[in-house]
Amino acid sequence: MKKKQVAITLGIMCFLLTIAICVQLKTMSSANSTVSQTLSDNELRDEVLRMKERYDNAFADLGNAQKELEKVRQEATQDNGTAEAKEQELKENNMLLGITDVTGEGVEVFLEDAATTDNNLNASWQIIHFDDLQWVINELRNAGAEAIEVNGQRIINTTAITCEGNIIKVNGEKIGSPFTIKAIGSQNLLYGALERAGSWLDEIRNAGNTAEVKKLDNITIVKYSGIIDSEYLKEDK
Amino acid sequence: MILIAIILGCVIGALIGINMPMISYTYSGYLAIAIIAALDSVFGGIASTLKKNFDLKIFVTGFFGNAILSILLTYLGQKLNVDIYLAAIVVFVGRMFNNLGIIRRFYIEKWSKNRRKNDKKEENKTVGE
Repeated sequence: MKKKQVAITLGIMCFLLTIAICVQLKTMSSANSTVSQTLSDNELRDEVLRMKERYDNAFADLGNAQKELEKVRQEATQDNGTAEAKEQELKENNMLLGITDVTGEGVEVFLEDAATTDNNLNASWQIIHFDDLQWVINELRNAGAEAIEVNGQRIINTTAITCEGNIIKVNGEKIGSPFTIKAIGSQNLLYGALERAGSWLDEIRNAGNTAEVKKLDNITIVKYSGIIDSEYLKEDK
Repeated sequence: MILIAIILGCVIGALIGINMPMISYTYSGYLAIAIIAALDSVFGGIASTLKKNFDLKIFVTGFFGNAILSILLTYLGQKLNVDIYLAAIVVFVGRMFNNLGIIRRFYIEKWSKNRRKNDKKEENKTVGE
């Protein structure tokens, strides 16, 4: 009887121990893909991972705070006609500014660098450049796109698309090929503008790159994740 | 019996552990030290069952107590900027080697005793014939 008890206890302990070891192994294998030799490298990597985790947590907190703010606003304006109208206006303005997630019908454009390098063509043409993105976005805007996103970066009124050597920066964030541009607006207008003869997508295809346009009924475009602030702006009275 | 229980526990634990979610990187250091403490307790438990002075209460409280204490000490060390976990590792691993030594000696003695017995039996047989 006593021996049985001992065996069961030892079994349970081993069970707990193996679970802990497995979890630990999993965590470490995902965190350290490469094992570096020096201690300082390890410490730096530790620091980076901690910082990243802290950033993720802070970002989640920010999201929660914004949701809470929204709730408080709603509660405050619940039984007040003018406040409700103001709230509606605020919501609309936020949507136009690009600081809320929006959804609607529109198109999705897929751009990718040429897979093979054809020696008859200019090598520089066979990659998607920052001005290709600018052209496509201009064409979308021209056709009445109401919200545009490139690889998870919302295009807002302060967005710059710049060429930084071999990468492209949008909103100061690095992005690279393949590019997915989402735009909300009239499906047919946007599609027509992008696929008309002589459009910029034609140029991109002629250079050997991939360009596809898809009509979608339900596109979600993410909000701008940075902060929009102004220092020099004043209202003119 | 004890061996079967240990193997069964390990296998089930591994199966469940593989499907467990990952913990955040910050806490993996604490889990690691807790694992070392628990591993030491398990070896200690096995060694004491072999020596026949196994006490369930001491074993269970040691298992959890050592793990929690080592986590707390590691945390304290991090706050004080002293690597206390190194001391914990030295103690636990030292004890692990001790316990492994006890287990090893027990089985070697058992094995050599058995062989001596067998030798004597064979001798008796030859003498009898």
